[in-house]
Formats: sequence, structure tokens, C-alpha cells
Amino acid sequence: MAIIERPSSEVAIAGGSTVGVKPSEALGVFKRPAASTSWRDWIVTVDHKKLGIMYGVAAFFFFIVGGLEAVLIRMQLIAPNGKVLNADQYNQMFTMHATTMVFLFVMPMAAAFANYFVPLQIGARDVAFPRINAFGFWCFLFGGIFLNTAWFLGGAADGGWFMYAPNSSTLFSPSHGIDFWSMGLQITGIASLTGAINLIVTILNMRAPGMKMMRMPIFTWMVLVVQFLLLFAIPVITVALFLLTFQRSFDATFFDVASGADPLLWQHLFWIFGHPEVYILILPSFGIVSEILPVFSKKPLFGYPIVAMSGAAIGFVGWGVWAHHMFASGLGPVSVTVFSMATMAIAVPTGVKIVNWVMTMWGGKLQFTVPMLFSIALVVQFTIGGLSGVTHAVAPSDTQQTDTYYIVAHFHYVLFGGAIFGLFAGFYYWWPKMFRKQLSESLGRWNFWLMVVGMNMTFGPMHMLGLQGQPRRMSVWTEARAGEGFFNLGFWNRISSIGSLVLSLGVLLFIINVVYTHKSKKVAIAPLDPWDGRTLEWMTDSPPKEHNFDTIPTINNLDEFFHRKYAQDATTHEITQVATAEEVLAEMNAHPDEHIHMPSRSYWPILLALALPIIGYGLIYNRVILAVGVAMVVATMFGWAMEPSTAADDDFDPPAPGDGGGHTKELAPLG
Amino acid sequence: MADTAIAHGHDSGHGAHVTSTGLSNNKLAMWMFLGSECLLFGGLISTYMLYKGRVNSGPQPDQIFDIPFTSVSSFVLLMSSLTMVLAVSAAQRKDDRNTNLWLTITALLGATFVGGQVYEFTAFYREGLGFTTSLFGSSFYTLTGFHGVHVSVGIIMLMALVGMISRNRIPGNKAESVELVGLYWHFVDIVWIVIFTLVYLIPS
Amino acid sequence: MKSSRRWSNIIKPVLAVSSLIAVAGCAKDAPQDTWQPAGPNAKMIDDLQRPIFYIAGIVGVIVFAAVAWAIFRFRDRGQAMPEQTHGKPALEITLTVIPVLILIGVGVPTVGTIFDLAKTDDTEMTINVTGQQWWWEYDYPAVGDNAEVYGISDPIVTSGQLVIPEDTKVLLRVTSRDVIHSYWIPKLNGKKDSVPGRVHLLRMEGSEPGIYAGQCTEFCGLSHAYMRMEAVVLSKADYATWVANQLEAYNSPSADNVLAVEGEKLFLQQCARCHQVNGLLNADGTPNVAAPDQYVVSGAAPNLTNLMTRNTFAGASWDLLTPECRDDVWNATPAEFGEKYLAGVSEDCLNQKDLREWLRNAPEKKPMYADPTKLTETGGKYRGMPALGLTEDQISALVAYLLELK
Repeated sequence: MAIIERPSSEVAIAGGSTVGVKPSEALGVFKRPAASTSWRDWIVTVDHKKLGIMYGVAAFFFFIVGGLEAVLIRMQLIAPNGKVLNADQYNQMFTMHATTMVFLFVMPMAAAFANYFVPLQIGARDVAFPRINAFGFWCFLFGGIFLNTAWFLGGAADGGWFMYAPNSSTLFSPSHGIDFWSMGLQITGIASLTGAINLIVTILNMRAPGMKMMRMPIFTWMVLVVQFLLLFAIPVITVALFLLTFQRSFDATFFDVASGADPLLWQHLFWIFGHPEVYILILPSFGIVSEILPVFSKKPLFGYPIVAMSGAAIGFVGWGVWAHHMFASGLGPVSVTVFSMATMAIAVPTGVKIVNWVMTMWGGKLQFTVPMLFSIALVVQFTIGGLSGVTHAVAPSDTQQTDTYYIVAHFHYVLFGGAIFGLFAGFYYWWPKMFRKQLSESLGRWNFWLMVVGMNMTFGPMHMLGLQGQPRRMSVWTEARAGEGFFNLGFWNRISSIGSLVLSLGVLLFIINVVYTHKSKKVAIAPLDPWDGRTLEWMTDSPPKEHNFDTIPTINNLDEFFHRKYAQDATTHEITQVATAEEVLAEMNAHPDEHIHMPSRSYWPILLALALPIIGYGLIYNRVILAVGVAMVVATMFGWAMEPSTAADDDFDPPAPGDGGGHTKELAPLG
Repeated sequence: MADTAIAHGHDSGHGAHVTSTGLSNNKLAMWMFLGSECLLFGGLISTYMLYKGRVNSGPQPDQIFDIPFTSVSSFVLLMSSLTMVLAVSAAQRKDDRNTNLWLTITALLGATFVGGQVYEFTAFYREGLGFTTSLFGSSFYTLTGFHGVHVSVGIIMLMALVGMISRNRIPGNKAESVELVGLYWHFVDIVWIVIFTLVYLIPS
Repeated sequence: MKSSRRWSNIIKPVLAVSSLIAVAGCAKDAPQDTWQPAGPNAKMIDDLQRPIFYIAGIVGVIVFAAVAWAIFRFRDRGQAMPEQTHGKPALEITLTVIPVLILIGVGVPTVGTIFDLAKTDDTEMTINVTGQQWWWEYDYPAVGDNAEVYGISDPIVTSGQLVIPEDTKVLLRVTSRDVIHSYWIPKLNGKKDSVPGRVHLLRMEGSEPGIYAGQCTEFCGLSHAYMRMEAVVLSKADYATWVANQLEAYNSPSADNVLAVEGEKLFLQQCARCHQVNGLLNADGTPNVAAPDQYVVSGAAPNLTNLMTRNTFAGASWDLLTPECRDDVWNATPAEFGEKYLAGVSEDCLNQKDLREWLRNAPEKKPMYADPTKLTETGGKYRGMPALGLTEDQISALVAYLLELK
């Protein structure tokens, strides 16, 4: 085996012996970091798999934070005139709940899966720009922490996640909460934008030989669509956030009605970003279930090209529907009609996906593993959310429903019942690939059923509440408006609040499952291919080596791995297994690639990302801190630019043996 | 199906530096970034177009714009695109001396433009158009300011490039690095043409 | 034929049961129920949305049935590897065309309703509705049909309750003085945002005398939950009575009502700088003109002329009537309603508890930005009503005075 991984401190060379390699001083200020085992490695790593795990852990932490905020909201609303929170705290709570769930949980969790699995699914050794990838993660983490420090510095943002002007100006929200909010989102926006460019280039440019676009796994397809949405949506919210920051920090007049400003400008900018954002949240989960349903149905995805294209169509039409968030905001009837029709049109590609998922299961050989259960639940719950979506695509009907709990029910069915169930399906499905152990299926079933019951108990009654007139974002509700009878709005509010506790219990069980799986000695190491997978990520070790594949495979089919394991008899059409996963892997690894140069670890991404919240604090509190932050950005960017992505051969002492340098390949010359 | 089972790649060892699209990663990334920038400026320009006529206090646009002056500085910026092209072609000929020469001239032209903008802002401010004076003021300074920052960042990149080329410290492909900065520079120029037309030439 | 009947045999009971569950699960007489229209605009929306809910329900049931059947029928019983089919184009196209057709069926009536709801050329009455943190002001201008047909010879400015005549096409001109609010009386029409700097038009028409609840539905800051409203529909005769009463000249409390006379003085000292009472005279005999723009961010405070003809106060968050009297008005039959509403708030019916609490410390009862130490951003102006530091005796005097305002 002549696999060379550098600059890890231990390099396997021919014969299997190891030689310690010390990197010389790099071109920058710092020595090239070389640790590969200690905690320090997590700080300086550029490995897409490690970054994927870090994205996942951080996002899950924020999921718990956002979840606790949600439980507090539900406890406040369990009875009329709730006293758990005061109005001010309540407004901060629902603002931060939405902000956290959208920007700090679902988006980065999708980024976690995309980071980890896209390179594996397309047969690449890393992403195109590994250091930018690391930078993106740190931006997200520091941005998220920055955003939440507002809680301890005079109160969090209190204008709702949509932050409508002019309620967001200092006159109406004098605390610094909204400043933290806008700058924190600006920082996480950098993470999304750099991540989008990185993944687009990776997917377009770094596919294994033979992997045409229409042979890409569907998850990769959906990630690609999402990255394009991010690429074009993030700059719009960036503009909106700049206008808001300039208004609040430098007294600009953008949303000052006395100066003649139009408050609807903010709404347009926000929703031009905000509606694609909805698809940014849901499409990765669509991709995940589109991977899982075929595996446990033992059939290829029904209508693969149509599913891929409908994803792209959703992404495209998704740009033309933003004003359906504004049907009550006073647009003229012509605009309302156009956006109403466009919104209905988007139901078609969405419906196509549901049909294709059902048809994938149809005629299959269904195995009800936990990931499969979560996927089926997504199909059902998303259908409910989708259908309620059609009812408010009808603009007149929406004027009764918008800003009521009916909308809250709708988007939680779509985002919790859809996006988050998809992510949980992904946890269970890919856990053995990432961590060698399979999460307990029996605990997983408890986890699943508690979440299904909890989710429907929490959000199902909200349909009733909304249609019977309970508006959103109210710190208290009153019995005077709750109606009569046993099933009055008070009853449904109680059910919903109790449901949120059941749901929390379900999530807690997931955490318990993780701890149990990794602590208990009874749980054995998972087999190489525990689910009989179909795609490339299963065609390597679990967890994969740093360079993913000893040999980059050549792709001849959609579902390449399946086709290497199974053959169809020409006459009887019977499908039989001809090779095990281990055999496929051994065959591939018999002729490993030589001279694999992996990108080297670097300090610069974390340092550059660290400078951004410093700038944020500086803008809010002190111009000196601001100057320090800006200086840090300039310095770290220069340091970064001077440092090659892959350490040069002479950067090592002694030089790596057996490596003439002539055949080396650089994965990312600049990134 | 049976035939292709257990096939393995024969040329997999050479896959990494040949990209699937044929475009280098860096160039593709730069194009994507510029695509994203289009929407950034799109948002800023829309804001300006919505607000340019809303002047509750302070001067109107046509009262303060000095079209001949701005035309000259726009011309200077356009010329810098030309010198940028010359720099790229010199870099492709591996002619470091001329590359640096043209890069420096490009940076100087860019700096002239930014200098002109600073002068213009000062003059407008004296004539009573502050950042907070009116919606026109806020959106005008924001839009042109963002563009100015883009030009300034471009100048820093050009100068950094000159420094790194003369010390031979460019990681990776030198000509491509120059080309990437060139792409960015041309984009910033094109955006200025749009801004100049919409903000200065079309009367409000 | 036979198979279609079999299908309908299955679908009918399913629909019946599910709609039974839905109906049984509903609150009875929820004041803001969107499914109980009480006017032609809300009815138009209701006629449009009901079939759509049924269609959505049927589509949902079909999808769930297909999933359930697949789960039941195709579970792994050790059968052979299924055929590796990648799809059936004809089936896929069919299944794409069906939703397209359904959506066209939904879309066409939608467009018609959008334009019907936007009609304004048949307006019979116009009312300006202005939102501010956290209450609504109603201004009935004395122009056009308002003056000629409905006898509004002088502008009427009220708050808390929108009062409109039965079967009259009223056009609300909705705007705001500070942030965005949204005007919504579910039983009369869908909602419309009130945006500062813009005037949005919203049709209102009630078919039956009664009182209809609503709530601000655009998040508008701290006390969004306490920004409510009520629309009162009166028969045309009762409406004339209401207008006449609103326009009646102001009378100071009679001298034998000592407490109320003291209350008027107190009102002039404590309240009148923000709250207008039309016709109220200063001690020197000049008309009192409130100047809320000097003390309040939005520049307005509720006009309290004829306060006791309304049933609510503080952004319709609390009733001026005791619960029993309130129920009497709310549950009145359409025929009796006008009389009971026009009776206003008598001393016996006055909800002393909430009103006194409000006068004692308003910001404690309803969250408002009234802490003088936290008003730097607003240049010392309040958002909402501050605590006035009144003694219990002063409160009693004020209550006695307010009772006279009808």
C-alpha cells in the first residue's frame, strides 16, 4: 500500500511501517499544524468529515437551545393569561426560537450531512476548498454564539425572525438584541455563502470518472439545488441586514417612515430571501429520504430524473412566490393573483416528489428500520403540510389564515414533520458510516414513536386553533376569545403544550440512544454495509479514511454500489447477490492510488472567523474593538493567502520518502 | 447489469486534477461568487431606485450630481479594465515584469477612481447631502459606498498580487491568480457602468 | 361503474367520519372563528375555501391510503428482490397532470374572488382606521354619504369598537401611526395590514346586528397580544341613534354629583393633555385640546368622548361591562341587540375592577414602554399609558367622571 496522507504526523508508507514527519515552518507566522489525534486537530482540521461532524454537534446543540425556547413558549400558552414569561421575554423567545431553528439548526445540520456525504457520494477525496470549508464552519459557530450572547447582554432580539420594519428600529426596540441578531446572521450568512460556492464547485467539478450529473445520488442533487438557492438568496438578506444595521447603528433612513420610507421594502427583501430559504430548509431532507426509501424498499428511486428535475423546478419557481407571505400586506389584486398562481404551481413538483416516494415503496420489499420509519413519517406529515399549504396559496383564504396558528401548524408540519424528520432519518441511516456503530433500533423505535405522537399532538391542534381565530406571536391568549364547549381553544392549547413535552421526550431519547450506543459494550461494531446500501458512500471503510477512497472508483451506473453487489440473470430476470460489500471494497483496494496529497491543516480559518464576532461587538460597543477586529481580518487574510493549501514537499522534514513530486496532485491549489 | 458488477476504475488515479467540467475549481468558484454579487448589487440598486426621488430634506439628485466629473472618473475605471486585460495576457506569457507593470497601473487607475469618489462624497456632504439627510442620501451613499469598497478590495488584491509575484510567493498557478483577480475587477467595472447609468445619467 | 360505486362506498364514510371528528373537535361559538362568516365578504372567502379544504382532504386521504397499503402489502415477507424499475413515464405524466388539473380547478375561482374582494366602487360608507401601539382609532369623516346618508355631520373619532350599519358596504381606509399592524375581524372579512405611510382599503359588511371580535394580527411589539378590536353591527335605525348620541354636545357633570365634578377637574389635570374629550372646557373656559403628540411616540391617545357608549377600553383588552352585562350584550338576539348595545355602560354594569386597576397602574396591567428611565430613544415620549400615581380617592373620582361620558 502506498497511500500517503500528509501532513499527519504518522505516515503509512510501503510495508506498513510508519515514519514521523515533522512539518517545517510554513510560509506564514505559524508552524503548519500537524496534530491528527488530539483535540487541537479539531481546531485546525480541514477534513470535510470532521467538519461535518462538528457542524452536526454544534447544530444539535442549538437544536436543544431552540427546543427549550419552544417548550417555554408552549408552557406560557398552556393556560390563558400565562405567567411563565412576561411579554418582553415571550417576544424574545419566539424570535430566537425561529432564528435558532432556521439558521442555527436546520441549515447547518443540512450542511453537516452535505459536508460529510457529498464528497463520499461523488467519489471525491474532499471538497474543493477545504480551508474555506473550515472557515464556513467556524463562521457558523461563532455567529451562532455571538447571536445568543445577546441574552446575557440586555436581551435578545424581539422583533420576530422576520424582523419587520419599522418595528425593528431603535425607537421601537431600544435594546441591542436586534443589533446582535443582524450581525450574527450576517456572520452565519458568510458561512452559508462560502459553503454554497464550495459545494457547487465540488459537485460540478470533482465527481469521480463516469459520474454524470444524472448518475449522481439524489441527495447530492438536492444539495446542489440548495447551494444554488443559497448562492442567490444570501446576498439579498445581506443587503437587508446591512440596511437594518446602517439604520440602527448609523441613523440611516431606510425604514424611517417620517422620511418617506416604505416599510414594505424590508418585507420584499426579506421574503425574496425568505422563501427560497424555505426550500433551503426542506430540500436536503427530501434528498435524505430519497436515499433511504430506495434502500429499504430494495428498489431504485422511482422516476429518478423526475425527482431530480422537480427538485430543480422547486428551486427555480421558489424565486417567484415570495409575496405569498404578504397577501395581507396591501399588494394590489394583480400582484396577489400572480403570486397566488405561482404558489399553486409550486405544489406540482412538490406533489410529484410525494408520488414518486410512494411509487418507490410500491412493489418493493419494505424493511421498517428506524430510518425508514422516519422517512415514511416525513412523507405523510409533509403531505399534510403541503395540503394546508395549498389552502393558503388561495390568497383570499390566506387573508383569514395568515398570522394565525393555522400557519404555525402548516410550517411545523413542513419543517418539523418534514425537514427535521428527514434529518433524524439521516442520523439513523448514516450513523454506522460516521461512527462505526449502529444506533439501537429498539431505542430508536421509542424515539420515533414519541416524536411522531409528540409532533402531531403539538402541531395538529394548531390547525384548529388557527382556523378558529387564534393569532400567532401573542404572549397571552384570553378565555374571552376561546369559545365554548369541551373542545374550546383552551383545550387545544393544553393538548399542544403537553404534546411539546412528549416531543421533547422523544428528542431526549435520541440523545440517550447515542450515549447508550457508544457507552454500552453490548452494542457491536456495525458491519461495513449494514443497510445493503446503494450509493458510493458505503463503498469505503466506516468511518472512511481521511482520503475517503484508496481508489477513486469509476462510475457506470446510478446506484453504482448496488450494481457492483447484485447481478440480474439475463433469462429469468432474477436478481442475485454476486458480491458482498467487503469483497467489493477489497477488489477496489487491491490497486490503491499513489501519491495522494490531502490538503494540510491550517490555523487561518478559525482565526479569520474569530475576527468577525469581534467586529460585531465593536460595532455595538466600542470602536477600538472594531479596529482590532478589522485588523485581525486583514492580517489573517494575508496569512491565509500566503499559505499553500497543500504543504509543499520541501515543507516536510525529512521529505516524504518515495515521492518524487512529479505525480502529485493538488486537490485545491488556492482554497 | 451482471457484466458491470464488480467493475473497478482503471484511470481513477488521475481523476483529481482533471475537473468534471474542465473549468478549474478556482475559476468556477469565482464565477459563482460573482453570480452571488449580482444579487447583492441588485438589492442595493433596487433600494436606490425605489428611494432616489424621496427627498424630504436636503438636495435633490440633479442638484448635486456633477456629471462631467463622474464621467471622467468612470472613464478612468473603464480604462483600468483595459490595463487589467493587458496584465492577464502578460501573465499568460509568463512575463512577470509586464504583469506587475500592468497590475500596478490598474491599481493606480482604480485608486484614482476611489479618490474621485472620496472627493465627490466630500463635495456632496458640503452641499448638504449627509448619510442621514434623506432616503436619497442614505441609499446613494450605501450603493456607491459598497461599490467603492469593492474597488478598494480589488486594489488591495492587485497590490498583494504585485508583491507576491515579485517575491515569487504565489501558491499555485500564477497566471490563473492574475486571471481570477481580473475577473473580479471586470465585474466591479461592469457594475459601475450599471450604477453610473442608473444613478447619474437617468434623471429622477 | 361498479368499481366507482365501491370507491364511493369507501370514501363517503371516511369523509363523514373525518368531518365529524373535525366538527366535534371545534370550539363552539369561538368569537374569531374563520368558518362562521357573518357578512358577504367573509362569506365569499368561506365559499371559496370550503371546497378547497374538501379537495385537500380527499387528496390527503388518497395519499395516506396509498402509503398504508404499501406498508401493509409490500413489507418484507422474504419475497424475492423486486424488479429494479426506474419508473413508468406514462404513469408519472398522469400523476403530474392530475395535480395540475386540480390546481387549475382551484385557481380559477381564486382569481375571481381576489378581484371581487378588491372592489371599492360600490362603497356606501368610509371609515378611517388607524393602528398604533396598541389600540385602533376609528375616524368617521363627515363627508359624502357619511354626512348625507348617515347623518355624520361632524367627524366622529372613537376607539375600541368599530360601529357600522347593517347591510352597508363600508370601506375601511387602514393605516398606521408607528409600526405595522393588521386589521382583522374574521367573521366580516380577511385581514389587511395597516402600514405607516400607506393607506390600504378593506371592505367590511355585516349582515346581522351583533358584535364581532377581532385582533391585531401583525406582530407590533411588546403588547401585540393586547391589541384587540370589536366590530359592532347595528340596524340602520339604531345606527342613526348611535350617530346622534356621538354628536351630542358635551355636558359637564351636574353639580350635585360631587365626585364626578371632582373627577372632571382631575381629568383636566391628569388625563386631558393626551386624551381628548370633545367639548371639555379648561378652568379658564377655553376648550381643552389634547396634545398627545408631545407625550406619546405615535402621537395619538384614544379619544374618550362618550367612553361609556363603548364596551371596552385599553385597546379592547378589557371590558367596561361586568361579565354578566357583557354576556347579556354578546348573546343578545339580533333583534334585541341594538337596544342592549345602545344602553351603554351604566353604573351597575361598570366593570370597576379592571378599570380601577388600569387607572392605578396601567403598564402593570398591559405591558407598555412607560418607564420614564427607559425612554431615551424616544426623547422621553411614552409608548402607552404611564402609571399616574393616583390615590384611591382620586381613582374613585375619575371613575365617577368617566361614567358621565356617554
